[in-house]
Amino acid sequence: MSDLNDERSRTGANASRRRFLALGGATAATALAGCSGIFGDGGSGSTGDGGTGAGAISLADFRGSGPMVSQRDAPGGTSIDELPALSGELTLYLGGGEGGLYLDLIELLEQRYPDFTASHRLEASSDLANTIIEENEAGASPADVFMSIDAGSLGAVANAGATAALPEEALSTVPEDFQDSEGRWVGIAGRARAIPYNTNQLSASDIPSTVQDFPSASALGNSMGWAPSYGAFQSFVTAMRLIRDDDETVAWLQAMQDHGISTYDDEFRVSNAVADGELAAGFANHYYALRVQSARENAPIDLAFTEGDAGALVNVSGVEIISGTDNADLAANFVRHVLSAEAQEFFATRTFAYPMIPGVAPVGDLPRIDELNPPDIDLSELADVAGTVDLLREAGVL
Amino acid sequence: MGTSDRYERLREQATGATRDSSPPTLLAVVSLAISLLLLSPLVWLFLRAGEIQFGHALELLTSETTVSVTLNTLALVGGVTAASILVGVPLAILTVQTDLPFKRFWTITSALPLVVPSYIGAFAFVSAFGPRGVLADLLAPLGIEQIPTIYGLHGAVLVLTLFTYPYVFLTTRASLLSFDGTVVEAARTLNHTRWQAFRRVTFPQIAPGIAAGALLVALYALSDFGTPAIMQYDVFTRMIYNEFGARRLDYASILSMLLLVMALGILAVESRLSAGRDGAYVSSGSRRPGTIQLGYWKLPAVLFCAAIAALCLALPVGILVRWLVRSGTGYAGGGFSFEMAYAWNSVGLAAAAAAICVVAALPIAYLSARGTTGVSSLPERATYVGYAVPGVVLGLALVYLGLRYVPFLYQSVVLLVFAYVVRFLPQAVGSTESSILQVDPQYIEAARSLGYGPLSAFRQVVLPLVAPGIVAGAALVFLTTMKELPATLMLRPTGFETFVTYIWLVQGAGYYGQAAVPALVLVALSGLSMLVILRREDTS
Repeated sequence: MSDLNDERSRTGANASRRRFLALGGATAATALAGCSGIFGDGGSGSTGDGGTGAGAISLADFRGSGPMVSQRDAPGGTSIDELPALSGELTLYLGGGEGGLYLDLIELLEQRYPDFTASHRLEASSDLANTIIEENEAGASPADVFMSIDAGSLGAVANAGATAALPEEALSTVPEDFQDSEGRWVGIAGRARAIPYNTNQLSASDIPSTVQDFPSASALGNSMGWAPSYGAFQSFVTAMRLIRDDDETVAWLQAMQDHGISTYDDEFRVSNAVADGELAAGFANHYYALRVQSARENAPIDLAFTEGDAGALVNVSGVEIISGTDNADLAANFVRHVLSAEAQEFFATRTFAYPMIPGVAPVGDLPRIDELNPPDIDLSELADVAGTVDLLREAGVL
Repeated sequence: MGTSDRYERLREQATGATRDSSPPTLLAVVSLAISLLLLSPLVWLFLRAGEIQFGHALELLTSETTVSVTLNTLALVGGVTAASILVGVPLAILTVQTDLPFKRFWTITSALPLVVPSYIGAFAFVSAFGPRGVLADLLAPLGIEQIPTIYGLHGAVLVLTLFTYPYVFLTTRASLLSFDGTVVEAARTLNHTRWQAFRRVTFPQIAPGIAAGALLVALYALSDFGTPAIMQYDVFTRMIYNEFGARRLDYASILSMLLLVMALGILAVESRLSAGRDGAYVSSGSRRPGTIQLGYWKLPAVLFCAAIAALCLALPVGILVRWLVRSGTGYAGGGFSFEMAYAWNSVGLAAAAAAICVVAALPIAYLSARGTTGVSSLPERATYVGYAVPGVVLGLALVYLGLRYVPFLYQSVVLLVFAYVVRFLPQAVGSTESSILQVDPQYIEAARSLGYGPLSAFRQVVLPLVAPGIVAGAALVFLTTMKELPATLMLRPTGFETFVTYIWLVQGAGYYGQAAVPALVLVALSGLSMLVILRREDTS
């Protein structure tokens, strides 16, 4: 574990970019295993010093546990101790299958503030976006806050005019790249596109540094997988359309198919298939590989990142306040809470996402967000999923 | 008895006869009203589809993808239906008509796969037979590097068949149990071989039963999204799903309408096949044909039953238990915890859906069974359309219509239960109708001639006789409601969780260990309602 500090101090982005997961496995495993139990109180973690009384929720409860996490510096940024108390009942729409991970955070906040309850509705993010838009057209949505794993869904709701203003204190803490240009939604956790690969079958050098070179990489022939109906993959293709153009994107999709690629229905399965050796490599969000490792120690999986292209896209989970809410103050305060030091530490250590405030580092050996080389894209533009679906269909992928 | 008395009785019968014609009218109106209410969510499809430009619609419908996906879908539906008949009918014959050892046990194991949600079944199959699954691990030391892939059409057909064939098994079994065995004996005395007797006597009698089950299987295969997606086979529901993801609801509506056209096609085929069903069901009798001696075939028959039970029951349960056991090393964790309230929510919803379905099914089934014109089975046919609507389409339709026309019911359990009734009513109608067909109409005439009014004659004579069929229909609706996912997600009240929404939640977060126990309890609870169905058949 002592190598972890070296890893972090290393400045050569390339080295850490290529093989940072080798050490991450055990760490990641403990980070999740800390809060186990089939019918257990998944919310409060299992750290001994957490306490159970109201207000006794400490930083340790927000953190995953394990040797590496305990070596982390205290997170910077605004602590929830400095924020006004949450009080009242909030209706929260929570978009995305793995949005279930965020329920831990909601439970922690409910434990800390006995007067606060969040009644949540968890569905696929695009379904909830559709629902909110319908609700808004028909009058007012029952939702106060929409929290989604996908900026495209947030953008669609915003474009339909269904959002209310976010508090300035929240917007000012997050880099401009990770919020809406008009301040209608703000990122709360980052999700980097990545190439999970099987370390028994490939080495880091087999993976080109741009996705454009993948169809000509012999090591990747007939051995890759993707999930084209998955929202995160469609965002990646949308990004490629924005950076290059539709014709080149179609050509790339066709070249990948000619090179031989298998289709899965989500990227967690792609990452699992990589760890199983069913695939040599795949297209997926970065944290799925970490979660595979947390489930299975010693799984032969590592991550590579491409540079400056659509394959290096960093998308975000984010929040927005829904127009017509009669809970505007509570909603605004809630948004500030999910951007607090403790909540950001939660996203970093419990969901393996990139924190959105500068004071909190990503988990252990992940490259810092500024070491990644994402393309220059306005994330709101990722809302044009329809054009991407057409294009995927034209290319025979969907 | 004086002549005036006689005259009185005759007059009563005569007016009774005229009154007889008025209740069917009332019955027809009620049935029609119910079926129109159930079809009302489809209005949304037309509203949305109207927004699309004609050129775009034409382009979408004639695109290469649409054509190839349509062919894929038809291949899947055809394959699953044929395979379900090949599995379900022999199992029904073995467990009803032969001297198969442990018949009771095999009856239960043959029916139970219906309680396993097919998405869990599909997941279990990939875990077991996927490229790096349990089987591949077992074979690897023997030097077998690669096993044939489970993904694709054959995998999707296999998994869907194994978890839906019980529809065919149950309906075929019901026909076998109810038909008059003396006819077969008669055929045998006329020098027919067993095969000839089966082909010329038994088969025509049970064919409508087979068709009824096959219809449910075909429509299920058409509307299922989860299983083909996991088995990596591209079908229509995935295309619709992608349009929902792209928030292009007009395109999704056009595609959904095409899906419904396919459903209507399937319904038309089934209607033709079961045209002669009146004769089939009515010639019921309590005498079973003599038991078929399996002889040398006894062992293969037992192995067949055992193989199906192993694939459909032992495998998924084994995989769930494996999740549970492995949860200690990281498969569990986080997420949020299961509460008993979720179980009660599931049971309450399923019970409400079952209760409403049987009440709504009664007039529709009665009209269809007793009606003489083709029109009288129209409401019954209409209920099957709802069964073919993918859950996500129905969900969003009810979000839209609920918000506009019944806002006070939006995100209430009322609207959710309505969605279940739309989807699952045909299951109750089917089993109610078949038991009504088995009631000799002369019983009612007898009751009427004893002075009972039409409603009380129905209550006193028909209802007790059809009660087992009603209970079986209720149980079928109950267990399918328990495992319904997409409409439940979209329509439930905020903060309201059930078995399936919880399993979906923790599975989506990758916490398979936490999904295992609720999934096992769900299967066990639904299994109890399956026992209710089988019990009814034994007593009928």
